[in-house]
Amino acid sequence: MKRPQVMIGTVIFAVALVIPLFLHNDYFLQVIFRLFLFATLGLAWNLVGGYAGQLSLGHAAYFGVGAYGLALLSKGMSPWLAIVGGVVLSMICALIIGSVSFRLRGPYFCLATIAFTEVLRLIAKNLPNVTGGDVGTPVPLLFPHNSMRSFYYACVVLTILSFAITYWVERSRFGYYLMAIREDEDTALSVGVNTARVKLWALLLSAALSALAGALYASLFLFIVPDQMFGVEVSVEIAILPMLGGAGTLLGPLVGSIVLETASEVFKNIFKEAHLLIYGILVVLVVLFLPEGIVGTLNRKLRWFKAAPRTPFASAPPPGPAEESKRIPLPLAE
Amino acid sequence: MPLLEIKNVSKRFGGLKAVTDVNMSVEAGEIAFIVGPNGAGKTTLFNLITSVHKADAGQIVFDGHDITHSSPHAAAKLGIGRTFQIVKPLRNLTVLENTMLGAFLRTSSPAAAEQEAAKVLQFLGMGKVMHLAARGMGLPMMKRLEIARALATKPKLILLDEVVAGLPTVEALKLADLLKRLPEWGIAAIGGVEHVMQVVMKIADRVVVLDHGIKIAEGKPQDVVHHPAVIEAYLGSKYKELLK
Ligand SMILES: Nc1ncnc2c1ncn2[C@@H]1O[C@H](COP(=O)(O)OP(=O)(O)O)[C@@H](O)[C@H]1O
Ligand SMILES: [Mg+2]
Repeated sequence: MKRPQVMIGTVIFAVALVIPLFLHNDYFLQVIFRLFLFATLGLAWNLVGGYAGQLSLGHAAYFGVGAYGLALLSKGMSPWLAIVGGVVLSMICALIIGSVSFRLRGPYFCLATIAFTEVLRLIAKNLPNVTGGDVGTPVPLLFPHNSMRSFYYACVVLTILSFAITYWVERSRFGYYLMAIREDEDTALSVGVNTARVKLWALLLSAALSALAGALYASLFLFIVPDQMFGVEVSVEIAILPMLGGAGTLLGPLVGSIVLETASEVFKNIFKEAHLLIYGILVVLVVLFLPEGIVGTLNRKLRWFKAAPRTPFASAPPPGPAEESKRIPLPLAE
Repeated sequence: MPLLEIKNVSKRFGGLKAVTDVNMSVEAGEIAFIVGPNGAGKTTLFNLITSVHKADAGQIVFDGHDITHSSPHAAAKLGIGRTFQIVKPLRNLTVLENTMLGAFLRTSSPAAAEQEAAKVLQFLGMGKVMHLAARGMGLPMMKRLEIARALATKPKLILLDEVVAGLPTVEALKLADLLKRLPEWGIAAIGGVEHVMQVVMKIADRVVVLDHGIKIAEGKPQDVVHHPAVIEAYLGSKYKELLK
């Protein structure tokens, strides 16, 4: 049942790669660029929030650090090296968040992600000498002539990379471990899974991909400000896209991004000011009626043979208290 | 040297003494049972052995390693498998995938894990339900799945917390026959049961009786059940009079 998702993904990517051959309108390319950018961020989030079931509402942190890493480090090195630096910095952030919160159960991780991102936003706003403060900071060019088409291809390739990594994760022991942690952490521990460490690896991978997306996004706009990169709306959007498409599924983030980004673009043009309201209603409707997301729900509907049939032994009802107590005196009566 | 040695182990929860100064050891390939009424401290003892809870006092040594202050995943790596009294399957995965999770402890290859898992499931008579989702299983299969997942980790010792509780008697005895064969695989076991004594009589080499966290008797199953303290713990002193 993984196969159809891979096939659909491949078709989407193939279409994405040929689009620029026919479409020469930079505005539309930028819309689709944004779609794939958020698909990448959704795929990255999905490793932690979907497969491992650890809700992150602070993925803007890695996105923003990737962007600021490129902007600030490139003052002293080539932009490409600066991107690597940004990736490393974002992984250090992941290491900090993960190592303080992954040993604890409950909402600590989620709270830590929100708090940490807010701290980064405030740092970016309040260190004008380093980050440019509220005014923002310029970002270097990555591609000659800064052509929209180069950015577009880079973004699609990054999405394909994230998709391929997710595919690999799904089929590996690492992926099983992530799902086990989501389903029942005690069970995972009981079979020797170092759950804190496995969650941390997932977060590191996720942070690295998010930072690459952040660098790409920043370079396209050539200038970044703290609220745009570390804003809570960014974190929320990164989490909502894969949930809408199907958290913990390969195709979910891609589908979520296609649906939501297209909808928001269309609504923006038709409903003008009211588009955020419509967008919000759409999200609520999907959460209410498709709690497993679009791909998750389809998957379950199609996977009828796994739909919990009763086993030969299942008919035996659990014994009531009367039956239990009947057994007590047996050894003594013998 | 015994495979597992529990030395003067105690555990309190607030003011409640769940386990008090318990001594116990298990030899390689032995099947021991901890018997005691509800709340006696059996599950707590299992949680101490696997470091889910940390002992307040005493020492636990497994296979030459001091595991008193270890961690649950490290205990599994050393070779302690466990089942949960309240079953904890990964509900959305298949029976096979649940079992593979155990097998992944000793191999990183999904193909090898699948092979090992299938072998364990065949042994437990679960070949037919292998590809079904765990959430659809009835209690007997859920209990077996707990055992399958633990066995797939290739443990030296398996802790079976109430694996026959709530099963129809025929089903419980069938499972006991399978468990009796664990030593053939070089696996020692500690079972914990409240009162399914037929199973204990049938397969236990040794029985330890707990009551309110205190060990009140230890010995061969046929001796232990006639121990006055045991009869009292189970039936109260009134019935002891009657039995005389
Ligand atoms: N995590 C816990 N917190 C507080 N009390 C506990 C906890 N676990 C067990 N207990 C208490 O310890 C005692 C022993 O429980 P348990 O080990 O589950 O007994 P058994 O498995 O023999 O039925 C009980 O009184 C129980 O309420
Ligand atoms: Mg118990």
